[in-house]
Amino acid sequence: MIQVRQLTKTYQVRERHGLFATSKRAVHALNGIDLDIERGALFGLLGPNGAGKTTLIKCLTTLLLPTSGTATIAGHDVVQAPAQVRNAIGCMLMGERGLYWKLTGRENLAYFAALYFVPRHERNQRIARLIDRLRMQDFIDRPVESYSSGQKMKLAFAKALVHDAPILVLDEPTNTLDVPSARELRAIVAELHAEGRTIVYTTHVMTEAEQLCQRLAIVDRGTVIAQGTPDELRRQVVATEVIQVRGQIPPRATLSVQSLPSVREVAIATLDDGHELLVRTSEPRQVLPKLIETLYAYGASIEDVVPSRTTLEDVFMALTGRTLAEDTRTR
Amino acid sequence: MVVEERIARKPRRSLAWLQSIGIMLKVAETQLRLISRYPGSLAIDVIMPIVTTAIPILLGRSLTGSFDAQAFAANTGTTDYVPYMLIGSSMLTVVTTALWNVGFWVRREQQTGTLEAIYLAPASRFWVLAGVALYGMVRSLVSLLLSFILGCLIFGINPLQGHIGLAFSFLLLGLVPVYGLSLIYGAVVLRLKEAGALIQIAQWLTSLLMGIYFPITVFPPLLRWIALVFPPTWMNNGIRAALLGVGWFFDSWYADLGVLAVFAVIMPVLGYNLFAVVERKMQRNEGVGTF
Repeated sequence: MIQVRQLTKTYQVRERHGLFATSKRAVHALNGIDLDIERGALFGLLGPNGAGKTTLIKCLTTLLLPTSGTATIAGHDVVQAPAQVRNAIGCMLMGERGLYWKLTGRENLAYFAALYFVPRHERNQRIARLIDRLRMQDFIDRPVESYSSGQKMKLAFAKALVHDAPILVLDEPTNTLDVPSARELRAIVAELHAEGRTIVYTTHVMTEAEQLCQRLAIVDRGTVIAQGTPDELRRQVVATEVIQVRGQIPPRATLSVQSLPSVREVAIATLDDGHELLVRTSEPRQVLPKLIETLYAYGASIEDVVPSRTTLEDVFMALTGRTLAEDTRTR
Repeated sequence: MVVEERIARKPRRSLAWLQSIGIMLKVAETQLRLISRYPGSLAIDVIMPIVTTAIPILLGRSLTGSFDAQAFAANTGTTDYVPYMLIGSSMLTVVTTALWNVGFWVRREQQTGTLEAIYLAPASRFWVLAGVALYGMVRSLVSLLLSFILGCLIFGINPLQGHIGLAFSFLLLGLVPVYGLSLIYGAVVLRLKEAGALIQIAQWLTSLLMGIYFPITVFPPLLRWIALVFPPTWMNNGIRAALLGVGWFFDSWYADLGVLAVFAVIMPVLGYNLFAVVERKMQRNEGVGTF
């Protein structure tokens, strides 16, 4: 559905030195990006602010012309057939911006529906369905300037859906949302994905990417430094994970646990109120049920099980030597 | 399956023209809706020509008293300087509204982030810009009509004198090249991301070249030639000639209208192509939405 080959983007920025002196500097925003996103995928683009995610999205949505390389969307080249590409994509790129604040939400949707060739007789029905789906009835006929941040984001999201495109591109859609609104929006994204849409979702929030996306590409300094499923990405950097079990654990159970397949190492510590068992394994998901079964078989009483999962944040750190939070702050 | 059906359902080519005109009308309608949320600016459109024309008219009356303005008549062909100036002033408002229309639109949409949202849509830029121009034309014609009627009432002028149909032809044909110039200004704003500074100079220059309070025959030769390659000068003079009987530049209305027709073909083509070139250049660099 989306194919990107050796995409680069370089642009000139003017730097100011004092009152009048200026100089030009070339910014290499994308450095040979390769991506394949299959039809119906929910694909995450992950990386700190300034990594090149938005530039990549802008190239894919025809807002920017790439310096070199190719990108095709639904079989159409972004440079050769921009109108067809725009037809195939619903975008939410600028969050609250990109809306007419003096118009009502309904007027905004009607305007953009027209720009996307939604026939006049279908427009009102389509908008009514979106209002229902996103639960915007209470505010849709008020001017946008009176909306809360969450309501504006919902409207921007509705705008991306107004022409019912097969591909959705969502650039940091939960950026300014509070926790319940972000959760609601993610639920709708998951629903849209279940309906068969291809979704490209950019974020710098690792937990969000982990929760939503089937496949991910980690972008850093204009390059895709890793891509795959969240599990594949974790395995790229960490071969084993540790499962921590707390409770009353007979020490003799450790021998049986040690003999479970793919368990590398077992350690047990005695605490004031019981024991802590640490199990290092390369396949935590497969080992966990067998581990619990074995412990119960030895008469253990389990109080807590904590699989210490490698997060995507850990993956980013392992690949770049920097934390994402630190990177986002300093850019 | 769902996805394939969606792709197959995209616009039918046979309806492309109708859809494009629909887009132009929707853009114009939306711009009118937006400006309707600022009623004060519409009132200013109507009042400004009367305010700007009051000063020279009152000065003229204080200088000539009950006598005819003989020198004025010798230069223009009419002693009636009051409607002469009211027409000039009204035309200046129409022309400047049109001239800055695309540039202000670009700048406003850049600042609100809606320009990128428009560029994300498959609608052709030509029809979007045509919609912006149509909005500007409707707005300026309505305010022209209202301010002219109000001015006639205030200054005691008969609004139904002369060849109104011919004056209207000069107005409509004359606005076409003005929108071509507006596209050129829009391209400059798109590139420089600045709308205000250029207008300070251009507004003054426009009023000078159009001859809003005096005929361009009083210009030195070089300035007269510059004024004659400025399409609004022909529009302004054509309307005055049709309504007040001042002279044509070429001694006949059809020759003057012909010159405007040539401008009406050249300027929009020039303006749109320049806009497209700048737009492409912006897309090669940081994009049209940066502000």
